Amino acid sequence: MVRNTSGGMRAVQPVLVVCFLCCMVFSSVSFALPEEQTSVAEPTATETAATETTETETAATETTATAAPAAEQGAERTAEEKKVDEAAARLEEKLKQNNKCLKCHNKERTKLLEDGKEMSLQIHGDAYISSAHGKVSCTSCHSAIGKRKHPSKSTNISIATERNYSVEMNESCRKCHRQKYTQYKGSVHSAMVEQGNTKAPVCTSCHNAHAPVSMVDYQAETGLPCKNCHENIFNAYAASVHGQARINGNTIRDSHIQAPICSDCHHSHEVTALAIGDVLRTTCIACHENVTLLHNQWLPNAGTHLDIVSCAVCHAPFAKRKFDIHLYDNVAGVPLAMEEGDAPIQEQLQAIADEGGTGDPLEIWKARGGVVQDGQVVDISLRSRMEVMSGVAAHQIASKSFAVRTCESCHEPGWRKKQNVTLSVTTPDGRRQSFEADREVLSSVEGINSISDFYALGGNPSKFLDILVLLSLAAGIAVPVGHFTLGKMIKEYMARGEK
Amino acid sequence: MSTIPSEQKQPDAWIKTKDSELYINPLPVRIWHWLNALGFIALILTGTQIRYSNLFNLMTFETAIKTHNWVAFAVIANYFVWLGFYLFSDRITVYHPELNMRKFFDKAFKQIMYYSYGIFRGAKSPHKVLPHDKFNPMQSITYQIVMLLVVPIQFVTGLMMWDVKRFEGVIATLGGLEVVNTVHVMIYIFFISFTMIHAYMGALGHTPVTHFREMFTGFEEEH
Repeated sequence: MVRNTSGGMRAVQPVLVVCFLCCMVFSSVSFALPEEQTSVAEPTATETAATETTETETAATETTATAAPAAEQGAERTAEEKKVDEAAARLEEKLKQNNKCLKCHNKERTKLLEDGKEMSLQIHGDAYISSAHGKVSCTSCHSAIGKRKHPSKSTNISIATERNYSVEMNESCRKCHRQKYTQYKGSVHSAMVEQGNTKAPVCTSCHNAHAPVSMVDYQAETGLPCKNCHENIFNAYAASVHGQARINGNTIRDSHIQAPICSDCHHSHEVTALAIGDVLRTTCIACHENVTLLHNQWLPNAGTHLDIVSCAVCHAPFAKRKFDIHLYDNVAGVPLAMEEGDAPIQEQLQAIADEGGTGDPLEIWKARGGVVQDGQVVDISLRSRMEVMSGVAAHQIASKSFAVRTCESCHEPGWRKKQNVTLSVTTPDGRRQSFEADREVLSSVEGINSISDFYALGGNPSKFLDILVLLSLAAGIAVPVGHFTLGKMIKEYMARGEK
Repeated sequence: MSTIPSEQKQPDAWIKTKDSELYINPLPVRIWHWLNALGFIALILTGTQIRYSNLFNLMTFETAIKTHNWVAFAVIANYFVWLGFYLFSDRITVYHPELNMRKFFDKAFKQIMYYSYGIFRGAKSPHKVLPHDKFNPMQSITYQIVMLLVVPIQFVTGLMMWDVKRFEGVIATLGGLEVVNTVHVMIYIFFISFTMIHAYMGALGHTPVTHFREMFTGFEEEH
């Protein structure tokens, strides 16, 4: 067919190339992440060059079928066809370039870093090409290294540590994965990285940049990548009702929903510390939506209990518990987050940490209470919640039948005195820091005004009221007995007088 | 007694009819009184169990709370039997037979003297019980404070603690849950001795059971 016209002959070559490339692209796409597919399919004007290229390549794939008949008829090439051709050419060029890189980097190579350690420069070509990144050119991320500017002995790129390089390279992910990157930047992980924490994860801590796989493929029982840092917590989770259900492949109430894994509660990119405020409860209720109704059926003041008692306090029955006091912003209705340069509290906390002593939440409340921000006195109070002692305990959720249902475990006299008391602050990086606090604060008269939401029925330690109860009981007995006895004595006296 | 309708002052008042001068405790009052008495005892017992769960184990905390709540609502409903009866009948005069303070204090003093001395000598109570002037001044003042101030405060504070979340705004305004609870406990403390002394004074009639019988039958017993 193509022999019929010379115009057709001219068109056929790029078309064949496009067809060939399409096969390659299809095979690559079949390995791609669903998320990656989505991002590729969403064209936006502001996308970076790399994204744009990927989009065009996908377009090329889609339009190949229509391009061929056009070539047959020898019609004039449309602008769109030209675009497809250009994209194909670019991809070919890119792969050629990548192949050039892989020629050397496929082999075992290392680079000596400033810290004296060696960093591997080896990229497993097959894994890379078949991965979701396979069609991304090396220089898209390694923009500092090009065809004409590859480091040599004379133009060596100095890298302090492998960690430094990872942190530095984090930015390159943003080019294509802007949404995920923004989510990550709002996470506690990112905040810790920015604070200079050398162990907090960057993108490549969880994702292998040169052989990325779908995180969906991670198996619950491995716990990766979270387990790399949070091993104890993962082990607690794995033994919990959630972990067991997930590992055994059980679904929730015969629906398609699986039992939760780390990212279901903590999110994968905008990772948050769930211990802060109501975040945890909201997370639990997201699946256990009828939780209020179920508790209302038997638990007096269910709403208040759900507000004040963390789920794990009853549902992790063997966990140690504590009273956690935190500063609460009454205006915003959220736990008060410390800000950089929040001097009074930082100093107090530092003093507590240095002395290894117990903190007085009331003092800290006073220090913070009168602070004027933006011309307004901050209205804050101390609030308390029942929490479990550790993050590990928070994950030891047991089956419902093991949950604590004996009210007396909290509501009994003297109960407060037995409790661990901590003072928590939300640090600027979004984490929660707990300090052991003086438990006397729970029975402090001053505490009545400052610490609201604090009362556990039956756990009131007020000796004054206990004495009044005894006095009242004594009066209830003494008045009748006294009156009766007095009457008898008077009658006897009078009887004697009559005699 | 200008407020007493003249037709009730019949010479045949000895006959036990509802028009009789001896009919001092009408049915609504008797129903209210005994339900209230049972309710108060149950509330004091369950309240004590809630507060001192480590001292004795009459029932579990959960049962104590639930019983306390149910009984409390019954007592609140019963309160309106009392309130309704007195608001919509002429018997409200038992609380205000005469608005004369001088007379009131004079009679109150005489009543105190009677209970602290006269009663032992076999004297008659200075207060003559009548359907529309049932209470002596001491009873009148005590019951008014109890029924119009103390009991409503107890209901309101109890109601707040029954559903803390629903009333959290009011609780916060009053100074927090601990303040509300302290008020509730103080009134509980008052009612411990009040109930006991009330029962003892009920036994100070002609015979120890006279007033108790009157509270069941509604009729004052003539001696």
